[in-house]
Formats: sequence, C-alpha cells, structure tokens
Amino acid sequence: MKLSDIIVGIAMALLAIMLSYLMVYGGLGPIASYNIRPLAVAFLNNTYNPWQKIYSALSPEAVTAIVWDYRGLDTYFETSVLFIAIVGLLALFRGANIVQGISSKGLSIIVKTSTKIIVPLILVAGASLAFHGHLSPGGGFQGGSFMTVATALLAVAFSIEFLQQKRLSLNTLLAIRCIGLLAIIIVSVYLLINAVLLGGYAYIFQNMQRLLFSPNSLVAVGISQYSMPYWFLDRPLGGILFFFNLSESIAVIGGLTLGAVLLLLRENELKAVIGGEERE
Amino acid sequence: MIELLPAIMAFGVALVSIIATWLAVQERDLLLATLFSALQSTCYALIYYLFMAPDIVLVYLPVSVGILPLITILLVKKTERYEE
Repeated sequence: MKLSDIIVGIAMALLAIMLSYLMVYGGLGPIASYNIRPLAVAFLNNTYNPWQKIYSALSPEAVTAIVWDYRGLDTYFETSVLFIAIVGLLALFRGANIVQGISSKGLSIIVKTSTKIIVPLILVAGASLAFHGHLSPGGGFQGGSFMTVATALLAVAFSIEFLQQKRLSLNTLLAIRCIGLLAIIIVSVYLLINAVLLGGYAYIFQNMQRLLFSPNSLVAVGISQYSMPYWFLDRPLGGILFFFNLSESIAVIGGLTLGAVLLLLRENELKAVIGGEERE
Repeated sequence: MIELLPAIMAFGVALVSIIATWLAVQERDLLLATLFSALQSTCYALIYYLFMAPDIVLVYLPVSVGILPLITILLVKKTERYEE
C-alpha cells in the first residue's frame, strides 16, 4: 500500500467525521429549515382526514399519497421514462428470441433447490409491499422490483428457457408491461369518463371529491362529487392509490424482467440475429 | 446519549461504506469490485433506515443489491473479468 492511498483514505474518513459532526450538532442549520416545515404539517394533517375530503387522499401513508395523488402526473411520466428505456432496449435487440441452447440446463441442483425455497418468499414479500402500499411503507415500484429479483433469480438459476417453458416469453413480458401501463391510464381517466357520461365535472388523476375552480379565476365555484372507493371491508383503501400501486407493480415486473432476460441472452446466438451478414 | 445512537450508528456505517467504496475503486478483479459495491449499497440502505426513510430503503434494496449487481455481472461476463 502506497503512502498516497493512506493519505486519501484518512482524508475521506476525516470528511465523514466532519460531516457527521456538523449534522449532529446543527452546524449546517436545522436539517429541515423552519421555513419549509409548514408544508410537512399540511401534508400530515391532510393525508388522512375524513372530515375534509376535498384536501385529503384518505390513505394513512403520506409518501404514497404524495407520489400517486398530490403529484400523480409526475409519477406517471417517471413510469413512462422507464418504458421508453425498455423500448430502446427492445429496438437494440430487435429480432432476438430465446433459442433452445446448449447451456439450458441451469445451475447445480443445490442452487436450484434453494432458489425454489426462496423465490415464493420474495414473491409474497413483494406482493404484500405492493398491495399494502397505501397502508405501510412501500408501493408499486418497490413491490415490482422485489418481484423482479425473484424472476431474475429464476432466470439465472434455471436458465431463460425455463421462463419460456412457463409461458413467459419476451412478447408475453412486453404484453404484461403494456397491460400495466394501460391500467394506469384507465384508472387515471376513470372519474373523468364517469363525469362525461353522467354529467358534472371531474379532474384527471382525481382521487376524492375536490374543489372546482372556474377556468379564468382562482375562485372555487363548487365541488366535484365524484370519488374513487375509499373503504374496503374494514380498512381504508386510499381511492386510486391501491389501483395505481397494483398496476405499477404489474408494469414494473413485466418491464424489468424483460430487460433482465434480454441481457441474459447468449452472445453467439445474438450475433447470428443482430449482426446478420457482414456489411461493407 | 441514547438519542445520539442512530447518528453514531450512521457514522460507523458511513465509515464502512467509505472503505467498501475505496476497495471497489481499487480492485482489479471486476467481479470482486461488484461485490464491494453491493456492500457499500447495503451500508447506504442502513443509513437511509436510520434517517427514517423506509420508502427509500425499500426501493434501494432490490435495485442496488439485486438488479444492479446482476447487470454488472452480466457485463463482466460478456467482456473481461480483469482490468488492465
């Protein structure tokens, strides 16, 4: 080990010590400055507030309420960005397909057995994260990426031909992804279509009943009465939050598994498809 | 003292993550470097948990410990394992 390595290491450790000292003793000011705390107070007061439904998302989980209700359009476009990345990957790998190859037997029997034990556990944990995203920390993307780890484990331990034998070919995965995105779009305009058919007004991405504003001024002229179901049996459902988490987890598991399977394709089979004959 | 415990734990984990980052940058064997990078991600997940951000922990764990090492290992497999 050279002298410069030791000096760099000590300098980085000193940086960590100084930063933690500053943060603990408030050297950089309070971590959240007092000017922005009323925003947090407003969110905490309104996230689950059955007495003021026009400001509330009726879900006990503030983060999911912000992500899918108060800034729902932002999250929708984040999902679309991921979809565009998947489309770029598909365009790069166009024509590629899963061929029955030499190494389609997978890994050893020890790895296969332990994968068999662990995959259902991961799937159940991911599903509970996605379905309880409006009640506890978690949500659609978290649950979907948990389940993607399980399917990627299956693809690595059992080979990608195993996925195809279980009817999870590339086209099926792409179809799952598109179904998830379509479900998000349908849920976001459901109340709007309702209002158009039954009369009255509603917003896109509307969750509970909201104040209606006249188009030219910031004066409230009434209340849009339409709202998603917010109570299921004996617990809150959070309106659109539950449906959005469900469809987002479906979209994420389809898209990320598709990306993992595309990257797992074997190189010599790919070259035959992508390279084609030598140009020039 | 007890209210400083999360901050002290976060500081210790931050030191471990610095060592892991240093090893990952320095390592010539790219497979080992991926493992060190996953160790650093685990340390960061613990720091997020100690700073009371469970949503970030839940999205950080599968992406940084599951999917990112998978893609990096695939990249190493398709190119070369040892850095020049």
